Amino acid sequence: MAALRTIASSASLSAARRAPLAFANIRRGYAEVAAPAADKLQLSLVLPHQTIFKSTDVTQVNIAASTGDMGILASHVPSVEPLRPGVLEVIESSGQSSKWFVSGGFAIVHPGSILTINAVEAASLDSFSLDAIRQNTAEAQKVIAGSASEEDKIEARIEVEVYEALQHVVTN
Amino acid sequence: MSAYWRPFFSFNKYSQISARALRNSLKESERLAAEKRGLTGLRYQKWEGGQGGQQTWIDPPESTGSAAKSA
Repeated sequence: MAALRTIASSASLSAARRAPLAFANIRRGYAEVAAPAADKLQLSLVLPHQTIFKSTDVTQVNIAASTGDMGILASHVPSVEPLRPGVLEVIESSGQSSKWFVSGGFAIVHPGSILTINAVEAASLDSFSLDAIRQNTAEAQKVIAGSASEEDKIEARIEVEVYEALQHVVTN
Repeated sequence: MSAYWRPFFSFNKYSQISARALRNSLKESERLAAEKRGLTGLRYQKWEGGQGGQQTWIDPPESTGSAAKSA
């Protein structure tokens, strides 16, 4: 039995050798996403109204996840992270770093160093007005301290969270 | 940092409130374009026997100044 098996396998091996080498290795499949360059992260940063990055190779992305700040490099383990209102920093291949303040959303790392960040609103740090932030914070604090409905107070609390995170970054 | 807003709002509503807070903090020059993004309007119309009825706004745009009902 063992002898028969070896004859059969050697016969199939020689058959494979006779066939064109290309056919032995090709398997037809679905079109594949172009993989990012080695040691690079393929970033797509999208808002409902604007695409900031579209499958661009970058070096590192720092996000403010709800579980804490984290930096994402190539070959990161696949994960889904909700974002808290905070700063998102993208360090591109050229070494240039750009920052956006994001109102919230999700950062999803896919297998193969692909990072997708979905956010509702994001703006670069120099688009904000410190006066507006201070005024808004004061108004929201008034609502929290006042006698509005529970829902209004929680709404104000959510807004204060955004304003405080903003004040941290825009002051600096 | 647990989600204190969970008993009151859905995640969608929470993210819209957050986005609105961000928009309100932009510089004057950027705010104009941004405000438009925060508005949603909905009209409905009841159809009976092939005839459309009155088109009614859920939230008439003239009367709501604030974005309180924007989500």
